[in-house]
Amino acid sequence: MAKLVLAAGVPHPPRLVFEMQQTPGKTKGEALMKQVREQVEKAEPDLIIEVDSDHFVNFFYNNLPSFCIGMAEEAQGPQETWCPMPRYTVRGHVPLAKALFKYGVNEKFDLAAAHELRLDHSLVVPLHFLNPGMALPVVPIYTNGFASPLPLATRCVALGRMLSRFIDAWEGKERIALIASGCFAMDVGGPLRGWIDTEWAETISTLLVRGHYQTLARRATEERINKAGNNSGELLNWITVAGAVGKTKPLFLEGDEGSGYAVWKFE
Amino acid sequence: MSVYQVNKILYLTDNDAAFRKRMQEEPEALLDEFSLSKEERDALTSGAVGKLYQMGVHTFLLNHLYRWELFGVNRDNYLARIREGMAYDPRFEQGNMPVQRFIKN
Repeated sequence: MAKLVLAAGVPHPPRLVFEMQQTPGKTKGEALMKQVREQVEKAEPDLIIEVDSDHFVNFFYNNLPSFCIGMAEEAQGPQETWCPMPRYTVRGHVPLAKALFKYGVNEKFDLAAAHELRLDHSLVVPLHFLNPGMALPVVPIYTNGFASPLPLATRCVALGRMLSRFIDAWEGKERIALIASGCFAMDVGGPLRGWIDTEWAETISTLLVRGHYQTLARRATEERINKAGNNSGELLNWITVAGAVGKTKPLFLEGDEGSGYAVWKFE
Repeated sequence: MSVYQVNKILYLTDNDAAFRKRMQEEPEALLDEFSLSKEERDALTSGAVGKLYQMGVHTFLLNHLYRWELFGVNRDNYLARIREGMAYDPRFEQGNMPVQRFIKN
């Protein structure tokens, strides 16, 4: 039986690695990523499950699943040449991914599976910080956070709960860290670029800190998410993780420009 | 309606280096290979970001026009162009996040 030892949520600013090199110790994101990494190190995981939304790099409208399990033995990224950071090869964990797929289907989640992956910055930026040297295998779970209609947030809670039951049932002995990648409220490329829906970001932070995950999921309608900008569907990754943490409240949650950094501990 | 085709062109531009090179060097010939309406093609080749936005092109994909400085779109004019035809919104003034300068290689 495997064990969920830690959950975390972080954003994935595509330029954070570059900015840290230019002005080390100056960005809030660097300090917060370090804070999360310290907790990940303490938890000593053997494997990471990362919940993320692809940014039209691996998926496109020709075939775009609501939920998809990454089953590749390994994959490279970030693929976007405009993202200034090192390129990595990330190992997967095919047996666990396959078992999760089967478990999910039996639990009435009609998941998709991808045996080849092109990793985008949203998957790799958190791993650059939280999986140094890409030492641990990573099983990606993709939620569609970008192409309307988005999956329901309440369905993402259910997905997270299923994931938690799967971890308990999985025959391996791994210590598992579950990571959500994404912002709360941000517009990249839309007419409100630069504006941050701070009211929505603060509502999300407050509900997460209090452990009111169901309330958050009920309030996170697609209409509300879209009002906050075109990247705000990444919240679904946080909500999926919140579904997996049960009643546990975060150890800490720090906000930063429409995003949050949080850790949940289980031992 | 072939907004799908416009989205696809922008997706391939960012994800396929050979496609991108053709977009930069022979865009007209490349666009001939897609079934675009005249309105879509004109909006794309004139860098009319606002029109493309109103046609329903995904804004994250639209962003690739300025990332790759295609059809006269760049980081300095992108926001003004996408807001063309929109009613003034006070949130336009509230942006405190700089428009990023992307690094090409």
